Amino acid sequence: MKQGAQAILDRFMPLFAPRTIAVVGASTKGGSGANVFIRRMREFGYRGTIYPIHPSAAEIDGLPAYRSLAECPQAIDYAYVSVAAQHVPELLARANGRVRFAQVISSGFGEVDEGKELQDALVAAARKGGARLLGPNCLGMYSPRGRLTFVEDGSAEIGHVGVISQSGGLGTDIVRRGQVRGLRFSGLVTVGNSADIGPNDLLEFYLVDPQTRVIGMYIEAVEDGRRFFDVLREAKAAKPVVILKGGRTSQGRMAAASHTGALAGDDRVWIALSRQTGCILVDTLDQFIDTLLVFQALMPRPARPTRRVVLFGNGGGTSVLATDFYARLGLDVKPFGKETIDGLAALRLPPGTSIVNPIDTPVGTLQQEEGRIAEKILDTIFGTADPEALVMHLNLAAFVGRTRTDIMGNLIQAALRVQSKYPGKAHFELVLRSDGERDVEERKRTFRTRAIELGIPVYDEMVNAGYALAALQAQERFQHTRGA
Amino acid sequence: MIDTVNASALIARARVEKRAALDELAGKRLLAAYGVAVPESVMISGAEEVARALKALTAPVAVKVMSPDILHKSDAGGVKVGLRTAVEVQDAVRAMMASPGIGAARVDGFLIEEMAPPGQEIVVGGVRDPQFGPLVMVGLGGVFVEVLADVAFRICPVTRLDAEEMLAELRGAAVLKGARGRKAVSLDAIIDVLLKVGGEGGLLINHAADIKEADINPLIVSESGAVAVDARFVLA
Repeated sequence: MKQGAQAILDRFMPLFAPRTIAVVGASTKGGSGANVFIRRMREFGYRGTIYPIHPSAAEIDGLPAYRSLAECPQAIDYAYVSVAAQHVPELLARANGRVRFAQVISSGFGEVDEGKELQDALVAAARKGGARLLGPNCLGMYSPRGRLTFVEDGSAEIGHVGVISQSGGLGTDIVRRGQVRGLRFSGLVTVGNSADIGPNDLLEFYLVDPQTRVIGMYIEAVEDGRRFFDVLREAKAAKPVVILKGGRTSQGRMAAASHTGALAGDDRVWIALSRQTGCILVDTLDQFIDTLLVFQALMPRPARPTRRVVLFGNGGGTSVLATDFYARLGLDVKPFGKETIDGLAALRLPPGTSIVNPIDTPVGTLQQEEGRIAEKILDTIFGTADPEALVMHLNLAAFVGRTRTDIMGNLIQAALRVQSKYPGKAHFELVLRSDGERDVEERKRTFRTRAIELGIPVYDEMVNAGYALAALQAQERFQHTRGA
Repeated sequence: MIDTVNASALIARARVEKRAALDELAGKRLLAAYGVAVPESVMISGAEEVARALKALTAPVAVKVMSPDILHKSDAGGVKVGLRTAVEVQDAVRAMMASPGIGAARVDGFLIEEMAPPGQEIVVGGVRDPQFGPLVMVGLGGVFVEVLADVAFRICPVTRLDAEEMLAELRGAAVLKGARGRKAVSLDAIIDVLLKVGGEGGLLINHAADIKEADINPLIVSESGAVAVDARFVLA
């Protein structure tokens, strides 16, 4: 590892795995944001020491309280600060070099005109007190490796997705909605106004952090675009960087200006950035999660960028619509060659089964041999054709009440067995389609969990799976032509 | 070889003269300092200098009025092209001086310029992004850029591969390769200009503090080369 990389890791590890935490703003009566933070930290199984800071109380939530940051018995790795804005500078100025990182949750700083001076005072005070600053105007950090969380019911599992969010609320959505879809995080930092430590610093950390394999950023405004560009370009997309950019249209820009107090750049520059650095731009929260999921689950193959896709599942119209949509994304769902079609025909599948690609198999076909027919179909395809990706789609409503055996499980297992028989041949995505009825949703939840445990990325619709494949293709192509 | 001394002097002089933009001649000299081809030209102050000026040039030529007050020379009647003789040029200069729009303006002189060989009109531009710094742009001239906004931007400095991808990204890229029975133009010549303007150590990076916007419109590209026929640099 490069010396610079080690220095970056050493600098940030106390933030992602703090041994000591101070909490400013918890009250003896409980109920404040800081009290909630203490409760969540305990529930999350934090193993270090928590020091509540309070001007008079001896004890907060059963923990001994201290008058100031400097008076805590040990130096503080991470301070969570949630008191009225005007009190924060003084508090940090007197930290006396005893605090490494202070995350200021409080609002009323640079995001409003009257708070700009106070933010300057905050930065100066943190420097004087010797602490690096996160925020202000943010919600906190989520770092499973350090059992640190601002999110209710965040997964304790340590994952590979590192996120930086300029919005706190969206950060919560990313963790909670993301984990239901199967994302597991190496960390998520809400940076708010980024008065000191900003997205660029955390991007540099995630790029060298061995725990992080894919990086996601929600950005409204870039403070130092030159550095951002240089860091991304230097990294040559060695780790995928997925960017959800707020304020790319002029209307969105006005909203951004009132939200975080900084003007965002023009859309053209973001497209340029993605072309030059290989970062991947997405437009919606769901696309962001779907794209992170594909990179969490699948290893890009720059030597053979994804283009030819096989669609396999039940639903003729769904297959046709997906074929059109995938073509628009630059993915080919092309009919098979003669050898493959002959091979599939030899399986003598029931009438109503289309074997050309897309392969449309009614539930009746899939039920044959308790779902094991899928293995023969996929084996024939993998043995005679060269797709870069396989999307298996199952319309769960069609399975309800049709069978007692675990056909769904058999189908997934069949796909996995063929995958391992032809290692490195084709990426595999699973689409579990639901009509929204309660029992179908329940089934979908169960199968999603099982598939994700097997390392398969699962999507709600063909469109989502398509966007994710297109992102994978973009990453592979960039590395193919420009990779390190 | 980049003539950075000359390039900086051109900008410094425009600053001293309190100009908001480089005039066309200074703009072209700036491009020439970075190795971008510009037409041979001679600046004159009046019709009586035409005969001497033409000795150094090869007809046909264009005449352009040079005035800090006139932003759009063509609209003001300040451009005349395809002139072959001294008499034609003298008449053009006199007609411009007599026209109401030009007569009332401050006139620095008249630029007599060789005509570029025919080719495809390209636009190369630059703009300073508040967060990312200088960006370079390329597009096809005329309707492509004005109506269809068919342009590609990149953050400076661009690499050769970036420049190649910029051209490939244009919806009208086929035009450059000789669509509709026309000859293909030199992509290398365009890429060369993009690198000299937007590349490492290029014009936009070196003068990022001074140049707010740049327009080379048109850059005329033939099978063998590219010539910057008009240039405008707005100072920051």
